[in-house]
Amino acid sequence: MKDGGPKRILIGKVGLDGHDRGAKFIVRALRDAGYEVIYTGIRRTPEQIVRTAVDEDVDAIGLSLLSGAHNELFERVVELLKAERARDVVLFAGGTIPDQDIPHLEALGFRRIFTPGTPLSEILSALADELASAPATPDEAAT
Amino acid sequence: MDTLVDKIRQHDRRSLAEAMSLVDSDAGEAARLKDLLRGATAGVPWWGFTGPPGVGKSTLIDALLTRLRAACRRVGVLALDPTSPVSDGALLGDRVRMMRHAEDRDVFIRSLATRRCAGGLSDATLHCARLLELGGFDPVLIETVGVGQNEADIASIADFCVVLLGPGYGDYIQLIKAGPLELADVVVVNKCDMPEAQRLLGEVREELRHSARAAAESEGGPAIFGIEAKSGKGVELLLEHLLARDQSARNDEARQRAQRRRVLSEIRRSALRSCAQTMDRALADFSSTSVFEELVRGRSSLSTVASQLGADALAALTSGAGDNSKRTEAARNTRR
Repeated sequence: MKDGGPKRILIGKVGLDGHDRGAKFIVRALRDAGYEVIYTGIRRTPEQIVRTAVDEDVDAIGLSLLSGAHNELFERVVELLKAERARDVVLFAGGTIPDQDIPHLEALGFRRIFTPGTPLSEILSALADELASAPATPDEAAT
Repeated sequence: MDTLVDKIRQHDRRSLAEAMSLVDSDAGEAARLKDLLRGATAGVPWWGFTGPPGVGKSTLIDALLTRLRAACRRVGVLALDPTSPVSDGALLGDRVRMMRHAEDRDVFIRSLATRRCAGGLSDATLHCARLLELGGFDPVLIETVGVGQNEADIASIADFCVVLLGPGYGDYIQLIKAGPLELADVVVVNKCDMPEAQRLLGEVREELRHSARAAAESEGGPAIFGIEAKSGKGVELLLEHLLARDQSARNDEARQRAQRRRVLSEIRRSALRSCAQTMDRALADFSSTSVFEELVRGRSSLSTVASQLGADALAALTSGAGDNSKRTEAARNTRR
């Protein structure tokens, strides 16, 4: 979305679970890796996440979720992003997400799903790769 | 670029958000956009909020947003957080306190990192505030990073400056030291539900009665409020005062004064950045010279060498201004 300066990443928790240790861990790790991280806090609606992502003009959105409601909530996030013409944002997620759900989420547009136990170095290098390969002219690429 | 400006004028959020990224990155056409903005804005008062970390700046802005929205104002907010001096990353967490406004289309909150600027604001802050103005947001609220005793930038661009203090600020000696209290048009003691806050409120009153600022101002110096931002207690009264200040900042003379002050601040930042970049390059070369070795051994006078270096850097800046900007751009490209 922009040429210079650090990439901006939104980290948020959608839905009702209040366990934010994982989210905070990622926030800190991304900050240390040189990203500007916008943290939304816990119990956010998909609407709040997407509005924030657009206003903050982020390059990526990372959603943390442990409640099991990922299929419904993530679908809604993707739907809203489409409505905002913001599909070029790199989507990723982390949390207790069963393996059998991952193909569905990937089909929705989530580039990476990080399940418990993923080494931090793997998360960081995967993100760097995804951000580097994001389309240069998002508007045209998305529509 | 004109299309972008038009789209922002027509309240297109995504264009506004992307224009903010453009001025923040300082890339490509940023300079042209900044020039356009300078001429197209300056009609809206900017409210500055500053104070130590954790004092409740974001929470107060959240409380003000609720009330300003009830009065049908479209409000823009810029919230600054520090860039890490180690990684260049940042955690921008101010909006956590303002999330209940996240879905309101008449509120635009943008988090900005300082990008290593000292002074409590980033270089892009002023341009982002102008963008909010262009997008029809009025007023514009600017929250500095949590400040210590030496961050005064907000006073040079805001129309008025609210300084927040809270329990734990320290004793009377801290208040007498040079610092944020001197910048204040309005002093707010937050967390007044805590006993220590009442003592602080008393000390602030006492201190401001004696300060040079109070003596100089005809209306008796900065206004002082005790509030509880979280519960909203005292916020109505404070807002009434801020709206009165906002109103009196709207006449032509006040607008012109604000604009001149902002442009001065803008050019100062821009010129200082060029000087610093040139100086840093000169120093990198200088550290491998014999003159430097002499200095390290204490065999020559530093002040003579320093003024010579300064003069050389300025000469280089004057002769190769265009060249320099190209080199800076190139440096940025390589870093990416």
